[in-house]
Amino acid sequence: MTEVEIIQKLQRGNEQAFKELVENYQKMVVNTCFGMVHNIEDSEDIAQEVFIEVFRSIHKFRAESKLSTWLYRMAVNRSLNFIRDNKKNKWFQSFEDAVQSKNAELSRITTGDSENPEFELENSQRAILLHEAIDNLPQNQKVAFTLSKYEDLSYQEISAVMDVSVSSVESLLHRAKKNLQKKLYVCYKKKCI
Amino acid sequence: MKCKTLHNKLIFFLEGELPEKEMGLVKTHLSECGTCAAFAEEMRKTLGILEAEKSPAVNPFFYTRLKAKLENQGSEQKQVFWKPALVRVLQPAIFSILLLVGIYIGIKIGQPASTKQYTATLMHNQDIPYLNEMASETIETSLME
Repeated sequence: MTEVEIIQKLQRGNEQAFKELVENYQKMVVNTCFGMVHNIEDSEDIAQEVFIEVFRSIHKFRAESKLSTWLYRMAVNRSLNFIRDNKKNKWFQSFEDAVQSKNAELSRITTGDSENPEFELENSQRAILLHEAIDNLPQNQKVAFTLSKYEDLSYQEISAVMDVSVSSVESLLHRAKKNLQKKLYVCYKKKCI
Repeated sequence: MKCKTLHNKLIFFLEGELPEKEMGLVKTHLSECGTCAAFAEEMRKTLGILEAEKSPAVNPFFYTRLKAKLENQGSEQKQVFWKPALVRVLQPAIFSILLLVGIYIGIKIGQPASTKQYTATLMHNQDIPYLNEMASETIETSLME
């Protein structure tokens, strides 16, 4: 089924078309959300919300942009909303919950090939450090960086998703990398790892 | 090239985004400066995490869970369809009625007893003549019987 056929069938309420749409774009949406929230369970939950929104509002889709662009936009917006809500909830989160979520994140990163636990631990610390550095970027820089690094999108594609010019995307990515480099250098000096 | 200049360009060097001439200069500096080479290696390893995270495993139950969520949300919406009407209209109406009933009961309880009724009872009591049994019959007579 082509993209156009999927959209047309989905607009008529065809369930098989919805299944095919989810299968085709699941990895892309989950990956984008993961780049934003850095947690696989949360990113799957957000991706599900994205597909539910697609199912409910497919009749509004006028094919002025690509379906993937529409999905990327929804994934980014939903992830940003999730991060905003999570920040609010953090004030009310108990210390135990915070520790539990950190441990869960650590164990998620370290599970897998455990032949070299030292290497695994170092990698997990690197991952946490990198996630924190990305999270501290200004919002637009973070979105541009995530789409570029996690999804390998071109400047043109990122500009379509973010609704900004290509030169703006270029500038955002340049600043994002500089900021990231600065944060990683500070951490290297402090011997974080 | 100074170490500070290199630190500003390192990420672009690792990404291969520098012009050829600058790439050469950075390479030369890294081969000469151990501290910068160590930082470059550290940076390369950290940025390498992004590559490893790029393709998370696909959850085979994703669609099943999604479908269940979609159905749940549909039934929840049906259930709560009449709730706004209940909250906006019925709830205030019920509370108003309860308040009015409370006020009515309060007034009834707090009302003083009618004075007319009390006076009538008093008058009725006064009609009965006072009978002093001791005066008409002495205690001796009573004991004799």
